Amino acid sequence: MIDFEPHYRRVEQLIYAWARAIDEDRVEHIAELLLDDGRYTVKSRFNHDRGLPLAVIDAQSAAQLRDRILSMRKANVYQPQHYRHMLSGVHIASGDDNTFEVTHNFLIVRTMDLSGDMKIFATGQCHDLIVLTPEGAKFKERLFLFDSRVVETLMVIPL
Amino acid sequence: MCPLDHPLNTPPKPQTAPTSAPGASLARAWPKEGFTRAPYWVYLDSQTYANEQTHIFRGAHWHYVGLEVEVPNPGDYKTTYIGEQSVVLTRADDHSLNVVVNRCAHRGNMVCREPFGKAKKLYCVYHAWSFTLKGDLSHAAFSQGLRGEGGLPKDFALGDHGLQKCRVATLCGLVFATFSDKTPPLEEWLGEVAVGIKRVLNRPLKVLGYDTQRIHANWKTYHENPRDSYHANILHTFYGTFGLSRMSQESGMVLDQAGRHVYFYTKAGTEKKSADYEATTSQLRSHNDGLKLEDSSILGWKDEFGDGVSVQILSTYPGFVLHQIAHSLATRQICPKGVGQTDLVWTYFGFADDDEAMTQKRLVQTNLAGSAGMVSVEDAAVCEMMQHAMADAQVGESFIEMGGKDLDIQGSSKLSERAIRNFWHHYKEDMGL
Repeated sequence: MIDFEPHYRRVEQLIYAWARAIDEDRVEHIAELLLDDGRYTVKSRFNHDRGLPLAVIDAQSAAQLRDRILSMRKANVYQPQHYRHMLSGVHIASGDDNTFEVTHNFLIVRTMDLSGDMKIFATGQCHDLIVLTPEGAKFKERLFLFDSRVVETLMVIPL
Repeated sequence: MCPLDHPLNTPPKPQTAPTSAPGASLARAWPKEGFTRAPYWVYLDSQTYANEQTHIFRGAHWHYVGLEVEVPNPGDYKTTYIGEQSVVLTRADDHSLNVVVNRCAHRGNMVCREPFGKAKKLYCVYHAWSFTLKGDLSHAAFSQGLRGEGGLPKDFALGDHGLQKCRVATLCGLVFATFSDKTPPLEEWLGEVAVGIKRVLNRPLKVLGYDTQRIHANWKTYHENPRDSYHANILHTFYGTFGLSRMSQESGMVLDQAGRHVYFYTKAGTEKKSADYEATTSQLRSHNDGLKLEDSSILGWKDEFGDGVSVQILSTYPGFVLHQIAHSLATRQICPKGVGQTDLVWTYFGFADDDEAMTQKRLVQTNLAGSAGMVSVEDAAVCEMMQHAMADAQVGESFIEMGGKDLDIQGSSKLSERAIRNFWHHYKEDMGL
């Protein structure tokens, strides 16, 4: 029975680093936290519970995630906005010496720059596969499962 | 400096004088130009919204409620909406498709609470009134009373108290419903636009999943959008830069004879260069040569339907879209939620006989569409910005003259707002405006 206690800090810090990069508008950094062959998926609980494969975002490599971020910066049109991640309940469910299956809760508030309106944009549970590499902890997989069947307006900044 | 001279103040444009009688409300008059204008009050006025529920959503039109494969077996049901009204699509024991109002005939409780389910009957929890999958009332608890007391009157007839039923029609696996007896048969109502449906939905389907996009704008701002071929290659940078759809490609627009519905198609790889194209595109933000994908495999497309069409966007009045964007296939259903909100339900599908590689291709290309779609996420943003900018909507109107001032075809160029003019023409007829 593996003792995960020594690994909590490292796992938590990786999860926070991803969220902090997005909230501080350093979105490009999250692709550095994903393995080159890692996968980043955002999907509704509505589909997941029914065994349906459809995701709203499915980047199947760090390159595809970088492409999405490039599209966000250069191509897409959307009202100026910011996210603020509130994360809790980090739990290492299973794993071995250097790979961990981790879950945590997320709640993202989106603030619109023009109106100042604040809204709960997304909430749910994230399922991560985190690996320890010589460069530190990285994500092999991130699966954001959001509770609502609905996306508010659009999702152009990754979660 | 006088405020009017300030560079941020533009001089006021002369407004069209109202022709209504003195004392009459300014807000309800349609501009005299007719369907080349849409007055902004139409997007915000609550009485108009209520009238739309009556004249359009309960009117003589077919409303998309789902795919046959969403309710494949007897007992399967799906709850959805026609306008604001919750309805249930069921597959009855005789395999027929039925659409009934999701409101108990007794006191108005919601009968089905789940988005999807399987049941032998439609059972209202409040007083145990029980309906068949076709909506007929089969049992009401204690209808005979108890120990000689209570119960329903002698003149109570089960047959008079079923769930309200819609007429149902299907085409190529799409299910439509209508509240009106006056609605013509579905294929007749679709006219020539049925061709666009048949070309894509040529064999049994398989659902891949759902995405509901909650847009804080009036439903009509969204419905106009896929009818608007003018914007596609301007607003959506992703299309143009990667050759998925460019104004210079071979393309066309098809409306039905009556002009209610429309589809646009584009053929990738058919770019023709011309001097005016080069001049315009150098101005457009769409042609951003700094934009290169690291992994362009997401855009891979093979001519799946054998006719060279890489993108087809098909809209039916008042709120349905069928899209083919490369290998991504989906329906979109507009569910209005009050004057200022639209829930847009995207149902993505493939074919039952798709191999795993094709299914994966379709799923990956979902990254291009929907709520987080790299190609067209802007549509929701412009709808909300329009809603915001029209403010109280007492003043002002849309100008819809691209491609002419008429309803009739002037070629099949996508540089035309003909399909939007046709929408307002039918809207005004339905609404008596």
